Amino acid sequence: MKVGDWMLITGVTLAISLGASTLRAASVIDNWASVKAPPAPELKPVKIDPKTTALLMLDYIKQICNAERYPRCPQRLPTVKKLLDQARDNGVMVVYTGTTTPNSERADIVPSVAPTGDEPFLKSVLDKFLNTDLEKILKDNGITTVIAVGQLAQGAVITTGSEAAQRGFKVIVAVDGIAAQDDYYEQYTV
Amino acid sequence: MGRRFAIIAMGMTITAIMICNPVSSSARANDIVGEWGRVNPPPAPAIKPVKADPKTAALLMLDFVQHDPYCGDGKPRCGGTLPAMKQLLGNARIHGTVVIYSVAGKYEASDIAKDVAPAGNEPVVKSKADKFLNTDLEKILKEKGIQTVIVTGTSANGAVLYTASEVALRGLKVIVPVDGLSANDLYEEQLTVWQLANGPGFGGQVTITRGDMIEF
Repeated sequence: MKVGDWMLITGVTLAISLGASTLRAASVIDNWASVKAPPAPELKPVKIDPKTTALLMLDYIKQICNAERYPRCPQRLPTVKKLLDQARDNGVMVVYTGTTTPNSERADIVPSVAPTGDEPFLKSVLDKFLNTDLEKILKDNGITTVIAVGQLAQGAVITTGSEAAQRGFKVIVAVDGIAAQDDYYEQYTV
Repeated sequence: MGRRFAIIAMGMTITAIMICNPVSSSARANDIVGEWGRVNPPPAPAIKPVKADPKTAALLMLDFVQHDPYCGDGKPRCGGTLPAMKQLLGNARIHGTVVIYSVAGKYEASDIAKDVAPAGNEPVVKSKADKFLNTDLEKILKEKGIQTVIVTGTSANGAVLYTASEVALRGLKVIVPVDGLSANDLYEEQLTVWQLANGPGFGGQVTITRGDMIEF
């Protein structure tokens, strides 16, 4: 299909929508099929201070991060493992989370990226700040920047990442460290 | 051809997150930015009529501030939601439903668009996108015995998305009228509606509807 055809279709859709708006304002539902994604954001190299940065490993639990349920998660584990190793080598704080539904424990973290030593583990709903000590743990350790990786992109990552930003933390999102069940979820998370 | 080139070019410009010692990554497609141009939105969620019990429902009117970047001239899609929201607001008040407002930035209750301005002692909270953060919102909802929250306002992908999510994560039901949310563009509105309809962790607590399909 040529670009011209798409313009025609968009034009017709728009005309139909405008027609409908004489009755009521067109909502996004009326325009659903004509919505275009904006350009991809530019990926930037970033240098972090290991003393003030924490790596948030969100919900890498075997109940969710498995080939049957969400195959895009295990696919990303080698990259995440590399990031995790680099973080530990540089003394970056690592914090793990799990979910309350399904209930999960520290031992449920996928072995290849499992916590070591006294790396904290906490569990909550999508917003890992809700009813947990996450904010206190980060602030007590002088953290000002968080790197958010995890599963699901549109669950724990978008919600916890946003809540971190609203609490004044700088947020770094590694696009090769987030996963969802399909690409649309990952796109709008980014 | 052009599309394939664009994807390859995008892959080549991608650089991974690095800790301390930057290393250039090889071309990659194993992340969402590499796949960006191939992503298609899923079908629209169904719009459903819904009943709200006026005694246990609250109407949240988020950031209808008549200045940019909220509901000013620079954001015509917000102005477009005002007639339907004025009607919903009137309907909610007639039935005695609790109405709660929010503002953001430097703005106050007096900056809310006249068509949908607070009346009497309707509470106004002020925060960033998550209106529970550093406000009395949770306390107000609990004290009034609220179990269902109708979330409207701007920006869709800011206050509406994050506040509605936080309502659902607190175990309350959420009603989202699609003609009551607005953003700068349709993509932002679409992702908001999709996320609230299908996001994980909300367990069927969210109903997508339209203002005139809410019955008190």
